[in-house]
Amino acid sequence: MTRIKRGYITRRRRKKIRLFASTFRGAHSRLTRTTIQQKMRALVSAHRDRRRQKIHFRRLWIARINAVIRDNKVSYTYSRLINNMYKRQLLLNRKILAQIAISNSNCLSMISNEIIK
Amino acid sequence: MAMLCASSSSSLLSTSSSPSTSKPSFASPKKTQFLGFNLSPPNSSIAANLLSRPHFQVRCQDLSVVPKEQRWMFEESEAQGPDIWNKTWYPKASDHVNTDKQWYVVDASDKILGRLASTIAYYIRGKNLATYTPSVDMGSFVVVVNAEKVEVSGKKRTQKLYRRHSGRPGGMKVETFDQLQNRIPERIIEHAVRGMLPKGRLGRALFNHLKVYKGPDHPHEAQQPIDLPIRDKRIQKEK
Repeated sequence: MTRIKRGYITRRRRKKIRLFASTFRGAHSRLTRTTIQQKMRALVSAHRDRRRQKIHFRRLWIARINAVIRDNKVSYTYSRLINNMYKRQLLLNRKILAQIAISNSNCLSMISNEIIK
Repeated sequence: MAMLCASSSSSLLSTSSSPSTSKPSFASPKKTQFLGFNLSPPNSSIAANLLSRPHFQVRCQDLSVVPKEQRWMFEESEAQGPDIWNKTWYPKASDHVNTDKQWYVVDASDKILGRLASTIAYYIRGKNLATYTPSVDMGSFVVVVNAEKVEVSGKKRTQKLYRRHSGRPGGMKVETFDQLQNRIPERIIEHAVRGMLPKGRLGRALFNHLKVYKGPDHPHEAQQPIDLPIRDKRIQKEK
């Protein structure tokens, strides 16, 4: 059997990984074995957090809507607002409601007053 | 934005007031971009009217996909500006400058400790604002006066223990509520509120927005603090 050197194959593969992890801190962007592990962890986190992102944003919208809804002198809460919205079959989702709450809170009070009636 | 809201609320008003007069504009049910599936609501004409209107099919602010008869709804500044409906608002640096924040003042005399601390933490964290963001300090400043007169229910005055540890072995120091109240009354409210704020860098920064004072005076008159609105009915100690 003749000896075969593998040449640049490994280096090409590792270059891609190093490029991916080029902005990581310290040894995580410099040492090969460490960068491979850190790239794996980064991709796993990204995959998991793409699912968590949807959860986080929904939480944020609910908190913002709740904050504005509770400001009224009558005690009115987010849970009651959502219940009334479902009863009146208003399909506005929480994202839009939160953006309305920030940009134009009078509009949100108009909507909620309409729904209470 | 005002026009768009007015039109959406007026459409809501008109649909809720006259469901029978306006018919759907299409004969066969078609896929609305809004929902992505065929919707044929059996019982409600309100939902059918809301979905059949072409308003909801426009998802971006590119005016070219808006039919000509509806372009009046979009103001020029909104159409060319950033997409506010698909990107959740995040505060810029100018939205949370410390000098523009609201200052509140609370009189702690005859108020139950935990309920008061909960309300204070709610306002310091900024959860009363529509612009609440958990990663940014959007909250207000709170000044507490008459801290030595705060109340607790039950036998907590003699039985509630405040512990601290100096780090050395055998260095645990224990004090009861009234001992601490005689020594350093501000620490009681600070301890309570600190336990209710988030723990971390941001939480520690938020804690600096709490100012507690012993007597009825406070040096923050220049900030013109307003009274903290308290919704909790059981916060006043009953005599």
